[in-house]
Amino acid sequence: MAMRSQLYEWTATASIVDIQSSIFIGNTGNNITKPAETTATQFVVIEQVASSGSNPGGSATGTYTSTAGNAGLHMFAQVRINTTDYFLDPDNKPNDGIPGTASPYPRTLTLQPSFSLYPDIYVLPGQVWDVLVTQRGAANNAQAVQQCFVKYTLYDGPDALIANKLLELGISVSPANVDWYKRSLIQQQSAVVA
Amino acid sequence: MRSQIYEWTNTAQNGTGFTLFRRSTDTSVALASGTETSIFIGGVGYNITKPAETTATQFVVIEDVSCTPDANTQLLNGGNTQIRINTTNYFQNPDVTQQTGIPGTASPYPRGYQNILKTFDLYPDIYVLPGQVWDVLYTQGDRTLVTATPADVVAVFVKYTLYDGPDALIANKLLELGITVNPNNVDWYKRTLIEQQSASMGGMA
Repeated sequence: MAMRSQLYEWTATASIVDIQSSIFIGNTGNNITKPAETTATQFVVIEQVASSGSNPGGSATGTYTSTAGNAGLHMFAQVRINTTDYFLDPDNKPNDGIPGTASPYPRTLTLQPSFSLYPDIYVLPGQVWDVLVTQRGAANNAQAVQQCFVKYTLYDGPDALIANKLLELGISVSPANVDWYKRSLIQQQSAVVA
Repeated sequence: MRSQIYEWTNTAQNGTGFTLFRRSTDTSVALASGTETSIFIGGVGYNITKPAETTATQFVVIEDVSCTPDANTQLLNGGNTQIRINTTNYFQNPDVTQQTGIPGTASPYPRGYQNILKTFDLYPDIYVLPGQVWDVLYTQGDRTLVTATPADVVAVFVKYTLYDGPDALIANKLLELGITVNPNNVDWYKRTLIEQQSASMGGMA
């Protein structure tokens, strides 16, 4: 139970056009009871963020067009840690985040990911995190669906301590590196005992 | 080390000029065939406030650049993307003359649209050293884009990793050693340092 793969899927039930809305506590779609946060003994690594994709160009309908049901969406997902937005433009101004066009959910044959979230995003013990979605296009299809998908790993207890140690050492926090650190400790202990 | 993205579209209010903030009512800005424009400060579509540059403690690795394809058979009206570091264009012809860079048909955005998949992979990556200015230049293909026309929206997508502080120092060190700068190698370098330190101290704390 020390390292657990976790996911969260969100589907809008009200308009998010030109509005940044939290997928956890944004009062639209499926929400949770309180903001997402880590306790003093937890460490979260966000590994994937995806949202509904749409296609620019090539069709005669919509401002940001597509031939599929999500025509015109132009959806984005931004990750926020405490009060800081993760994705910035090169002039250090927060942008709308990852375009659904670059990291689509769901993935289809005609809409594949251009972006993979690497390095991952860390949520340290005691921090509040959020995923904010927005739509910057005018959907021209009543069937358009605004969705967001987040995949993260929750490190708890001793593994959260190791995750902190790895962070302190400047090493990426991943299940493989947590295992490497444990193996190093065991090998050192064995060497001392022998 | 932070994964960063930038998406440019030729959309702005009333289909003219540029915008620093996206709105759902933005429409396509006209762009003549063959016109080259900076996706950051070109004055067309979504722009930022100043040229993209690295500070003395930053190191940028550009990992992917893609744009709307220019495929006449599929009614796609995109173009090509070129990367510029300071005043030097990255992609050149074999005779060292200028070219327009990566065709959207080879590195399409979005990937898979109209069944066009990726042919080109930006590897090795492109490094922007501390203190350098970088830019991505989009050149419109055969079709001229018309104002406020839904079918005339084109996009460019850039994925890069920003190394800051100690990670930028390690990135410079890796460059000096001739080793590829990527998160794995930065981690490897850190682990090597730690293991050397542990060995000299007789164990890891």
